Amino acid sequence: MAVSTIAKGPSPTRRAPSRGRTRYRRSEVAWGYAFVLPAIALFAVMGVYTIVYGFSLSFASWNGFTPDWRWVGLKNYADLLWADPQYAPLVHQAALNTMWVMIAVPVLTVLVSFPLAVLLNSVRRLKTVLRSVYFLPHVTSGIAVYFAWVYVLQPDGAINLLLRSLGLGSLQQPQGFLGNPTTALPTLIVITVWTSVPVAMMLYLASLQSVDPSLIEAARVDGASSWQVIRRIVWPLLRPITAIVVLLALRDSLQGFQTFLIMTNGGPGNHTNVLGLQTYRLAFLSQLSPTLGLSSALGWMLFVGALILAAINVRALRRST
Amino acid sequence: MTATTAACGGDSDSDSSSGKTLTMWTFKQSHVKALQKVAEGFAQETGITVKVEAYGPDDVYVTKVQAAAQTKNLPDLFEVHTTGDDFAWGGAGLLTDLAKDVDDAWLGSYLETVRKDGLVNDEFYQKSLAQDAKTKGIQVGQRWSVPLTIGTFGIVYANKQRLTEAGVTASPTTWEEFISALEKVKAKNPDNGGVTIGFKAPTTGLEWFLQPVAYGMLGPDRFHALFGKDRAGNFASPTGTQVLETYGQITPYWQAGTQSLDIDAADLAFAQGKSSFDIGGTFTLAFLAQNGMDPSNVVTFPVPAPANGAIKDLSLAPFTLTGMSVSATTKNKAGAIQWLKYLAKADVSATFAKEALDIPPTDLGADPSAAVGPVLGAMIAAFGSGASAYNPGDTSYKPGAYDGVPVASTLMDFSPLKKKSAADTGAQMAKQIDAFWAKQ
Repeated sequence: MAVSTIAKGPSPTRRAPSRGRTRYRRSEVAWGYAFVLPAIALFAVMGVYTIVYGFSLSFASWNGFTPDWRWVGLKNYADLLWADPQYAPLVHQAALNTMWVMIAVPVLTVLVSFPLAVLLNSVRRLKTVLRSVYFLPHVTSGIAVYFAWVYVLQPDGAINLLLRSLGLGSLQQPQGFLGNPTTALPTLIVITVWTSVPVAMMLYLASLQSVDPSLIEAARVDGASSWQVIRRIVWPLLRPITAIVVLLALRDSLQGFQTFLIMTNGGPGNHTNVLGLQTYRLAFLSQLSPTLGLSSALGWMLFVGALILAAINVRALRRST
Repeated sequence: MTATTAACGGDSDSDSSSGKTLTMWTFKQSHVKALQKVAEGFAQETGITVKVEAYGPDDVYVTKVQAAAQTKNLPDLFEVHTTGDDFAWGGAGLLTDLAKDVDDAWLGSYLETVRKDGLVNDEFYQKSLAQDAKTKGIQVGQRWSVPLTIGTFGIVYANKQRLTEAGVTASPTTWEEFISALEKVKAKNPDNGGVTIGFKAPTTGLEWFLQPVAYGMLGPDRFHALFGKDRAGNFASPTGTQVLETYGQITPYWQAGTQSLDIDAADLAFAQGKSSFDIGGTFTLAFLAQNGMDPSNVVTFPVPAPANGAIKDLSLAPFTLTGMSVSATTKNKAGAIQWLKYLAKADVSATFAKEALDIPPTDLGADPSAAVGPVLGAMIAAFGSGASAYNPGDTSYKPGAYDGVPVASTLMDFSPLKKKSAADTGAQMAKQIDAFWAKQ
């Protein structure tokens, strides 16, 4: 008897979806789909379609005009990495420049933004004004500002003028800071750091304000100096933020190229070409050559690079927390 | 920068589809007003209005056409770089083949030297077969454009007042005289006595400057060999080194920072007096005038060759710089062709040229200065032909998929950047050109 009762009643092991199916009416399900559909359609068009289209393009040769693509398999990837004597050297040089940017920008961003945030956090007066001032580069970043920098860095620009008037004429650049291949890349790195410091500083500042004051107070009572407090307490506590700042700076360094495009277009010669700019050049500045596929392939390689960096960063973040 | 201007009113789609309005795209801002002006006469004559829209600079224009081709939203007409955009877009099926429409009577309106420009011959067809060729799909006999403006590169613009002040009273006719003039002007004007060129587009140094010098120095055959595969005569050879060393004599006279300037900025620097010399083409004058340079204070002369060069009287041959093409999707092909024929009329093209400060492809008679002004007229008068004239439009000696940018970037490492020796630069340039030959 007991067995038959159990067989007739609802089974405790029956799956939830089966129960759900009986619970919702068709009209309700239709309404649900109707509400979700715009988002799915938008993602399908803006996300899935473009990703699939872009990925497919990386296996083709196309100049953007012809109705058909010419399929080339993995050739685009091979050409960029080693096979094509025209493109591979350009990519290698751009990769080297990008590497320097990827090393310098995160390190300098942290070195500038962390002390700045600590200083701003300890300031009692004009804190809001100073925060706004230091955030200005981020708010004003854009084409106009980069053009302004170009003028400032020219042979007869403000930087050379300032150096001359300070008696530091030997530091002047007669060809301009962007015209000398030795100073062009470091100058662009400094500009990139200048644009990335505000956000990094705000992240540090927000995090600093969440540090338990009793920890610092306890350290002071134990005789710790300001430097020791920052070195032994604040810096370790802010390590997750540092990881985020480094990740953002790495991503910008790997994929960003606006500064380089506007200020030097990779020049003089090819001395400030970076991978992001090379991708853009292959897509839009190669006149009529069928290099859109090469551009897409390089873009996907950058994507994989960014993914690997993100994975490393997440791992480092977990370890540090 | 993008500028959109309607030549006349009534630019609605219904007008366009009914054939009353033609839409034309150009990458030349300086051509908009001039085209508008002649379009007024065309509207009076035919009742068809022409709406002129400018999209620039060149790469923006190309991207605009790429996008419009994908969305099937092309205009009726394009201004194109002749044997460049026209062949690429024609091969891709974006343009109407004009071969059957352009008859002898129409061609007779143009100067004889440019009548075949825009027409696919066997040489262009063979080049289109190269691996990474830009013009894939073209066939011999197709005509993808008709000439609109002609001209040439390799023209030196000099500040007349500063030349006079420095004691240079006649235009240099040899490379040595040019260097001497540079020295004198630079000595008189240490801060702004140099030469500008738009090195941010590195090909300017190679194609507008080094190539004419090398042509005059070596003559046609040895010049063509510089771009060949034979190490005995290409840039890697002692001849190549000699050419580069001659070109390198200009290095002390580059205006400071010119390596960071784009073409417009370099021209602007000259117009503003920040440099005393500017290398450009016949098209540069319009830009200089637009930016406040007084044309009467400009002296122009072709980039000169060394006195002991193979060609003693080097001149520059004109070729079609820009042409007009008809879209494959136009609904008013007859109207579009009417417009092209109208532009080819001698009086119409002279009006256009005067307004645009550019050189038309039609015969302006014995005194071109009367039609287009003294500076432009002097340039036209200085055009040459034959073996003693360097023709930048002739690319027959270069590989099919040739792209000057990497080669010219390497040249920049020699001058103005002084990062490499002439021999190393020549070897690197030859290696890069070899890579294009490998794709042939």
